[in-house]
Amino acid sequence: MKFGTRWPPIPAGILIGVSMLLAFVVAGRGIGASGAMTRLVAWVQHGLFPTATEQSAYFGKYFADGAHPLNDYVVFLLVGLLIGAFVAAWRSGELRVEVLRGPNFTARNRLLLALSGGIISGFAARLARGCTSGQGLVGGAELSVGAWVFLMSVFVGGWLVAWFVRKQWI
Amino acid sequence: MDIAAPFAKTGLIDAATNLWLAIPIGFIFGFALFHAGFTDSRRIAWAFYFKDVGVPVVMFSAIVTGMVGLWGLSLLGLLDISLVYMLPTYLVPMAVGGVLFGVGMVIGGYCPGTAIAAVATGKLDGVVFVGGFLIGSLVFGDFFPVWGDFYNSDYLGAFRLDQAFGISLGATVLLIIVIAVVGTISMIFVQDFVWGEKNTLAKSRPFKKLQGALVAVAFAIGIIFAFFPTESFIDDSIETPFYIVPRADVIEAAP
Repeated sequence: MKFGTRWPPIPAGILIGVSMLLAFVVAGRGIGASGAMTRLVAWVQHGLFPTATEQSAYFGKYFADGAHPLNDYVVFLLVGLLIGAFVAAWRSGELRVEVLRGPNFTARNRLLLALSGGIISGFAARLARGCTSGQGLVGGAELSVGAWVFLMSVFVGGWLVAWFVRKQWI
Repeated sequence: MDIAAPFAKTGLIDAATNLWLAIPIGFIFGFALFHAGFTDSRRIAWAFYFKDVGVPVVMFSAIVTGMVGLWGLSLLGLLDISLVYMLPTYLVPMAVGGVLFGVGMVIGGYCPGTAIAAVATGKLDGVVFVGGFLIGSLVFGDFFPVWGDFYNSDYLGAFRLDQAFGISLGATVLLIIVIAVVGTISMIFVQDFVWGEKNTLAKSRPFKKLQGALVAVAFAIGIIFAFFPTESFIDDSIETPFYIVPRADVIEAAP
């Protein structure tokens, strides 16, 4: 059966679930994306202010006992994720430099909102100890109470502001 | 025979091999994210307008797959669940973080994993989102003393839904499958009701047959699960110190 570029949501979701299950079986832990990005900023900041970063209450743990923050499971996962998405898009002829937005929205405003949304999510993912994948999907599969509360809260938060940014999308 | 999985924890593979194996696992994740349509910010944001309910349906399917696999392998004696890292619950911080995360998602159009995948496919809004995400993470870390106490508050340990509801783990698995199926069907109904039947692919027979069959399989597995006693999955009477993270009040106060 040929689906082309976009698969039906259930098979696509099952494949994401399979990658998560492989991580459980091989590594005894889940997948995630936001952790690697935190380690990346910790590493960059460490290059600029080594002492302050090592003494930081939050980032300090990444440098404990001389550890390198990028030498971690989540970073390797993220590298694989980049390659996987690139290969899938390339096979489908969908590699294209563009700014995605609704039909009545300028690219400049879209990028401003993407930046704002990124900052809010970056902060929120740290507060919630993970993002949609690392907290929501993995915790969801582990039947974690916190993860299910997180998932429901994500949709509550999204619906709270969806009306105000509708012009960006529709 | 000793339980083999998780391989990295039972010593079947060493730490370095485990790290390298993360790359193919991430590859599958990224590959699936693209084919789910999640390198397109519009398709993610549209979920909040019911214009395209792919996001919750994909999430439900991924959670059900991971859940059935994780607990199923444990039940079959192939995976030592006490060696799997269980996410701890910090209830209120996670609820507040979730609401903020949802706000960021509908404004920014991505979540971290999908944004990275979007960067790989050339989406500039994804690049900018990732830039913002890094700034947000940096702010959280550098001003950690301001919200550190809140971050570590309301700790409940590795607290599962079956423990919260006081029902068996197998019944909880079935319940999640029922929620996933009912949630999927009702969201597709709302999408059609609000936006009309524009999605011709979703209406095609092979599409419906395939997804219908997958749903039926999930139901069958869930019913089997529900008849197994909780002890078959996990022995809660034994303290499993590996995944029980220290309580917030015993973590040393940060300097």
